[in-house]
Amino acid sequence: MHAYLNAAGLISPQRTFENDFSCTLNTQGAAILPAIEPDYKGLINPVQLRRMSRILKLGTAAAQLCINNAGGRQPDAIIVGTGLACVNDLEVFLKSVIETDEQGVSSIPFINSLHNTVAAQVARTLKIQSYNNTHCHRGASFENALLDALMLLHEKEHRQILVGGIDEFSRHYYNLLTTKVTSGEGAGFFLLSDLPAGENSVKISAVRTFYAPGEDFIPRFLAEQHTPVHHLDAALLGMNGAPGDDALYRRLIDCLFPPGTPLITYKHLCGEYPTSSAFALALAARAIAAGAFPPPAILRPGKPATPHKVLIYNHYQNCNHTLILVEKAGLM
Amino acid sequence: MEKTTLVEQLKTQIIEALLLEDLTPADIDPAAPLFVEGLGLDSIDALELILLLEKQYGLRVEDPKERRDALQSVNAMADYILSHTKNEG
Repeated sequence: MHAYLNAAGLISPQRTFENDFSCTLNTQGAAILPAIEPDYKGLINPVQLRRMSRILKLGTAAAQLCINNAGGRQPDAIIVGTGLACVNDLEVFLKSVIETDEQGVSSIPFINSLHNTVAAQVARTLKIQSYNNTHCHRGASFENALLDALMLLHEKEHRQILVGGIDEFSRHYYNLLTTKVTSGEGAGFFLLSDLPAGENSVKISAVRTFYAPGEDFIPRFLAEQHTPVHHLDAALLGMNGAPGDDALYRRLIDCLFPPGTPLITYKHLCGEYPTSSAFALALAARAIAAGAFPPPAILRPGKPATPHKVLIYNHYQNCNHTLILVEKAGLM
Repeated sequence: MEKTTLVEQLKTQIIEALLLEDLTPADIDPAAPLFVEGLGLDSIDALELILLLEKQYGLRVEDPKERRDALQSVNAMADYILSHTKNEG
């Protein structure tokens, strides 16, 4: 199963909503990296905008950016991955339930508090009246959405699928975390198809999720994809600065990736959040299309001048481990 | 309460309840229809307005026809509030 990524729209703590992936904004030492938001009035109908909470605005605008970048192509289906969904709005709703003693609760906080609200709102805005699904699987939510899309394309049920990964910073969730790392947020939407749309299309060759995997799951995954490690032009790693979390990546750097393989990191640019791999996918797709990763993302430079085949490896709190293999469309 | 005072109060409450952040009370024509034309409100807004009448004025509008009439415009809302609070008094 594979898919072609033909367009992306990303709102993140970098200026990616302007399709600027230089990632030059200095995020050193920040505890929280808030998303840089566009002027929503240019992307969302003002009548719809007034009732939207922040995460809805982030998601709907990122989806619209993706469609704009795709030249207005209409998706047949929408699939969203989110770890925390509309948790901030859920807090507002539950608070109103308590304050009103369950009598006369306003409908807007309820509508905005549901896990599938973002997908529903995007579908309403873009008039997607077919398949609509939201996956909530902690740190593998976005990858599950991708897998769903790959299966739909494989079964030829749909030809153009809008896939998103979205999470918003939550102060309460952050306070509950035992290991504090730089927290982020973002909304990334991708238009996937069974056919490439142009020379900037990127092929998603494989997506795999693991829960508490054994030692050699990455070599086994690469063997299944007939991709020896030395064929990788870059490894994009989800290092987040926490010594415990990063130890797993360090072990891979020491044991798996030869010195010539460039190593790229991204969470110092977007922060840690359950669907941060959507940022990684957008970064990898842009690097493959542009021929280079932005210098602030490079942890260890390597030999290949242009990245054609990239492995994205992320783990979330050492529970959800995910792999995405992306490559230039047309590579054999 | 005088109807003119009540109308101005309702405009402020409607802006707050329906998150009409770009509007001021002066922008709302009290005689204009609230739905489709005028403010262009929809069914979710109707729920919020029913809730507003209940929370702010203690009025439960359960009959669908009565509800439709009461939510025609800001003036109609004010008339409904005045007639029902007077009756109770």
